[in-house]
Amino acid sequence: MKRARRFDFVDVTLRDAHQCLWSTRMTTAMMTPILGAIDRAGYAYINILGGAVFDVCVRYLHENPWPRVKLLCGRLETPCDALTRGQSLYTFELFPDDIVALNSKVFAKLGVKVLTVYDALNDNRNIESSVKSGHEAGMKVNAMMTYTLSPVHTDAYYVERTKELVKLKADFISIKDPSGLLTPARGRTLFAAVVKAAGSVPLKLHSHCQSGLAPEVYEIAIESGFRFGYTASEPLANGASLPATEDIGARARRLGRRTALDAGALKEIAGYFRCVAEREGKPLGEVARYDAALYEHQIPGGMISNLRSQLQTMKLEHRLPEILEEVPRVRQDLGYPIVVSPFAQYIVTQATLNVVQGERYKTIPDEIRKYALGYYGRLAARPADEFLERADIRPADLVTERPGEHIEPRVPRLRRELGAGVSDEDLLLAAFYDKPLLEPLRDPTPACAFRTTPLHELIRYLGSRADIEYARIRFAGTEMTLST
Amino acid sequence: MRHGNLTYEDVLRIVELVKSTSFSEFRLKVGEIEVHLRRSNGALQQPVAAAQSAAGDVAVEAAPAAHGAARDFAPDLVLVRAPMVGTFYRAPAPGAAPFATIGQRVEADTTVCIIEVMKLMNSIAAGVRGVIADIALENGAAVEYGQPLIAIRPDAGDA
Repeated sequence: MKRARRFDFVDVTLRDAHQCLWSTRMTTAMMTPILGAIDRAGYAYINILGGAVFDVCVRYLHENPWPRVKLLCGRLETPCDALTRGQSLYTFELFPDDIVALNSKVFAKLGVKVLTVYDALNDNRNIESSVKSGHEAGMKVNAMMTYTLSPVHTDAYYVERTKELVKLKADFISIKDPSGLLTPARGRTLFAAVVKAAGSVPLKLHSHCQSGLAPEVYEIAIESGFRFGYTASEPLANGASLPATEDIGARARRLGRRTALDAGALKEIAGYFRCVAEREGKPLGEVARYDAALYEHQIPGGMISNLRSQLQTMKLEHRLPEILEEVPRVRQDLGYPIVVSPFAQYIVTQATLNVVQGERYKTIPDEIRKYALGYYGRLAARPADEFLERADIRPADLVTERPGEHIEPRVPRLRRELGAGVSDEDLLLAAFYDKPLLEPLRDPTPACAFRTTPLHELIRYLGSRADIEYARIRFAGTEMTLST
Repeated sequence: MRHGNLTYEDVLRIVELVKSTSFSEFRLKVGEIEVHLRRSNGALQQPVAAAQSAAGDVAVEAAPAAHGAARDFAPDLVLVRAPMVGTFYRAPAPGAAPFATIGQRVEADTTVCIIEVMKLMNSIAAGVRGVIADIALENGAAVEYGQPLIAIRPDAGDA
């Protein structure tokens, strides 16, 4: 097999990195000053959008996500990549095919070049309409499959999924490891098998760093013939985020690969984001220590702290150890859903109910029953009989068709409601959110600077400190005074 | 700090100095750069932008301690109780017709309300055939584990 001689990078600094480390709270104005350097850094693609970014823009930052997409695609010459959750797009409910298709059309119009899509159940029927509409809109499609640990998620399982994606005519195939569970040993067998099954379709690795093993796993991917790695600028890398571009770049070069990375630009980006983190009081990524427990319950750290505070409000904090023990059993009973949203929440809630009620599956949330019926897509394995019995699910009740099939088209109705003059962007927002959430969206985009220098950032930092009432800075013949 | 270009490393070093001192006056002159700061009271304060919780996006709402004033129910009524701490909903969606109203006949598997637990919805069945006798709570009320939600007068021989 001919080895790829070059290894390229997809930047996640503007998307997954701050999703993992800054609770997705990076605003457009924090991004724009450094776009020039990001463009010069030699990335093959820049990932600018994902489910959480879109949702947090609307719910918490009160920024309209569409102008951000347009602005980033317009400013960056490097092709932009935007990610959706397939039939669920940015949320966890299922949308009809016509909404999915309209979303692809809007992406292409705003300048997105690569549509990245995945389904949290790895049921590739849930990305069919995205792939088709993405291609029709003129974008390349990067299809992801999500890695997890279970007796059914074998190398053969991922080879099957890869073959499905090749058949769907994906332009790229990615392995996505949202909880950082891959190990170098598993990478060796899995990556070789997937590379072989993918044939000429280039592969990308997207692995988080919770276990601390991701950089080594990336090396195995490079050696196995992967062509791209998703990485972040160093201050926003590691921990729950992805590996640092600087680190993986150095490793790729040691393995004899050429990269297009520009060390000067990367340094500038890293320095800029360190200053932003200082000014905004945001944490920097820290290299995680290997933690064997991660491989048992598989619950991401953020979710455990969230569960703990939920239990606190219910005065059930002392049951946490029992609940964490029940988690892997529930996961097995449910047919090994991947421990990502929304299924992570399903598993944890069911485990909590089982422990608190002292009787397993006495209460089963409606969403979990729907999941088990196949309403959201095909399960990785058949649920346990004990569960099916308590949920009162019979074989005749199971949903076998593609989930998108049982959802009525929504675009015509929304056009009627919103008026013929409504933009596609506004129509989509109305499909995703209730009106009160959309009212505070700032449109057009908030004021943004498109250049910066270290001196600029020093002044912005000093200006952000409430305790500084007077500042005078003299540098290279210029002098400025700030006072309140 | 070299003369010539101010770098991000220089900025971060200055930031460190500013953060680690609590003087009301701060003067720094290295090479070509000169910084003179005056602080309001010398006390170190946090930057304006407050640090956000890194605990993810799922907001945790403290359940208000609404115990729905403990009521007494006739001993012949069957009580539907909350399976968990959560939120009580009478209808499948805001504005929709309620699942159950007083006087309504229900079968054992009729859904009479929803309890939201940790963001997931749990349809609660009557558990017994009979007639709805009482609804103990307002829509949206916070409920405790085991709290009575709805009282049903069971059909003779069904209790």
